[in-house]
Amino acid sequence: MELQLGLALPNHNNPSAGNGVGFKSRKDAANKRSFQEAFGNYKIRDELQMMPLLLWSGPPDEEDDDRKGQKKRNSCNNINKNEEEGEELVVGWPPIQSWRKKLLLHGQHPQQGQVGRRVSKFVKVKMEGVGIARKINLSLYNSFETLANSLIHMFATYQKSEKRGVRYTLTYQDKEGDWLIAGDVPWQTFIESVQRLEILRCGAVESRP
Amino acid sequence: MSYSSLPEDVLEHVFSFVQSDKDRNVISLVCKSWYEIERWCRRRIFVGNCYAVSPRMAIRRFPEVRSVELKGKPHFADFNLVPEGWGGYVYPWIRAMAGGYPWLEELKLKRMVVTDESLELIAKSLKNFKVLVLSSCEGFSTHGLAAIAADCKNLKELDLWESDVEDPSGNWLSKFPDTCTSLVSLNIACLGSEVSFSALERLVVRCPNLRTLRLNRAVPLEKLAHLLRQAPQLVELGTGTYSADLRPDIFSNLAGAFSGCKELKSLSGFWDVVPAYLPAVYSVCSGLTTLNLSYATIQSPDLIKLVSQCPKLQCLWVLDYIEDSGLEALAATCKDLRELRVFPSEPFGDEPNVSLTEQGLVLVSEGCPKLESVLYFCRRMSNDALVTIAKNRPSMIRFRLCIIDPQTPDYLTLEPLDVGFGAIVQHCKDLRRLSLSGLLTDRVFEYIGTYAKKLEMLSVAFAGESDLGLHHVLSGCDSLRKLEIMDCPFGDKALLANAAKLETMRSLWMSSCSVSFEACKLLGQKMPRLNVEVIDESGPPDSRPELPVKKLYIYRTVTGRRIDMPGFVWNVGEDSALRLS
Repeated sequence: MELQLGLALPNHNNPSAGNGVGFKSRKDAANKRSFQEAFGNYKIRDELQMMPLLLWSGPPDEEDDDRKGQKKRNSCNNINKNEEEGEELVVGWPPIQSWRKKLLLHGQHPQQGQVGRRVSKFVKVKMEGVGIARKINLSLYNSFETLANSLIHMFATYQKSEKRGVRYTLTYQDKEGDWLIAGDVPWQTFIESVQRLEILRCGAVESRP
Repeated sequence: MSYSSLPEDVLEHVFSFVQSDKDRNVISLVCKSWYEIERWCRRRIFVGNCYAVSPRMAIRRFPEVRSVELKGKPHFADFNLVPEGWGGYVYPWIRAMAGGYPWLEELKLKRMVVTDESLELIAKSLKNFKVLVLSSCEGFSTHGLAAIAADCKNLKELDLWESDVEDPSGNWLSKFPDTCTSLVSLNIACLGSEVSFSALERLVVRCPNLRTLRLNRAVPLEKLAHLLRQAPQLVELGTGTYSADLRPDIFSNLAGAFSGCKELKSLSGFWDVVPAYLPAVYSVCSGLTTLNLSYATIQSPDLIKLVSQCPKLQCLWVLDYIEDSGLEALAATCKDLRELRVFPSEPFGDEPNVSLTEQGLVLVSEGCPKLESVLYFCRRMSNDALVTIAKNRPSMIRFRLCIIDPQTPDYLTLEPLDVGFGAIVQHCKDLRRLSLSGLLTDRVFEYIGTYAKKLEMLSVAFAGESDLGLHHVLSGCDSLRKLEIMDCPFGDKALLANAAKLETMRSLWMSSCSVSFEACKLLGQKMPRLNVEVIDESGPPDSRPELPVKKLYIYRTVTGRRIDMPGFVWNVGEDSALRLS
């Protein structure tokens, strides 16, 4: 098993296969899959065997906190360099139609004109203490209130054993990477700079770096 | 008087009750005279691979056809595995049919390249043309559609299901003349740009038989109520964008319009859903049989509220936002459910973003006795769950499971999922379509070869250990028609040993496997009724014969090599050196 720290991919079966493919230079490469192993050597996914791949080259990305480990692939032949594929790194997998993929990645129909339409803005939302993050389309909201209401609704299921009266604060990370409290700036300014959201229990806010 | 001496017109009358292609094919084999009678009265043909036969041959044998259905590119083209320019051009067919089938009424195409020229030829030459279905097609623009609209005087159906349409400016919809009142079905959901709303509205108003209307995303929600009031007879509706500023007047207008649509059975669209507007459709929920929410990025609670009001639901397409809890509600409410498709909202994330697991599918398999068709994307699975599902629903016909991470083992035991899928094929004796995923050894293929006797289509990725796996499938699956494989360690041995089997199938796709160029050549030479096509965009495959072939597409044909192969496709039959370039 090799850890790949460079941009070339191991290809045990076809040393001369040099398709010249490698990770895209996008920041996704920093935290997505690393390709190793030929067919069949690697049966069990074991946390101990996997270590995060450290290819920090760009600004922090949404995924960096969540990265768990590497994924393996049988074949390196299909690495797709096409930017338009978004985060897809193996052509043809998962088996989702291209227009559906584009819809998910960009929140828009691939051929969509922009006339009179909202531009979707998807951001990740995490709640302190909850393992599963959510993604929401901020363009569907027009005020902090509607946003907060929707988030309360969304995360209500995770508060099963919470004591009553626990208060939460909605924080967000802006373009500069700073964490701020939502509501301090006008909605429009907020929309333009928000990168991700986090719901913190009151009292936890101070400990944010 | 024996049955074989019945007069021709009596036989023809009897045959007219036989619609299925399979049965008609059998009839045509009984004797020469039945062959003759049958071919003159066949009205519809289905060509599953447009390269299997030439248009001229089809027209020559069946001169009185009124409906033609063609499929072009291999299924994996949906997932970007087939390069642009590969083929699947419909023009030669249309040119031939313009002369050979002047009374053609229906044309249904899937995964084909259609040009404006083709559409214009249809409009010009086929005077009784009624139905055009372009499913996952590409290569044409709204100019071509304008020709169809303008010249097909009896057009009943125009369906652009999931096609890729160029949309230069120009208002094609208003090319439908005022005299056109025959539309029954219009599906423009895939169109990117706005269509003229007034033209759309006028069209809807003057077509009293309109049953199906699928709008595109550009149609704003505020205008939907208006359209619905003009067409309360609609049976199938695809909304446009389902979001608007929250205003009570818009809501009540919409809700009122929906409540007037007493015949609605199918809903789709729902792009950009604002949950507050969902209750507007509640009045039609009790009659809904089909619900496509696969673009609706709404969360489980809203989905549950909606689905819980649809007890007659037979078909649900939804994103995994529905989560296990939503599927539990579905299982409790929708006892008539036949088909479920759950699509991933974040297929490229490393971690689950929703609480959807194998449990949801198990619950639906328990609660929905008529469930027969499943497409399910998830992130974990267990053999136990699969065995449970198999035992719950032995009547399953289509089972497509996609565990998003390749080679994911049983999350409980870390074992391969061979046993689970084995149970599926063992219990579901009528299974016709199967897609595998997760960690799988050759064992699963042994199960499939042994039990899946009715299986017609199998999709495999990142599975198996050796040629034995492929051999089990090719030698055991008696009904296999389509096999598509990506990234599996299958090589020459199984392929060559089962060469004859390939002639009984429509097609075989193998990409990123271990098949050598030599084996392809051998196969091509041995089997003259197969086209063995190697796809390689980086150069001629025989220049690096030590490397496995990148992509391989093998299909049976009665017309020999095709003449429209692009530079990156090689037919490796006997005279590959004489290939036309």
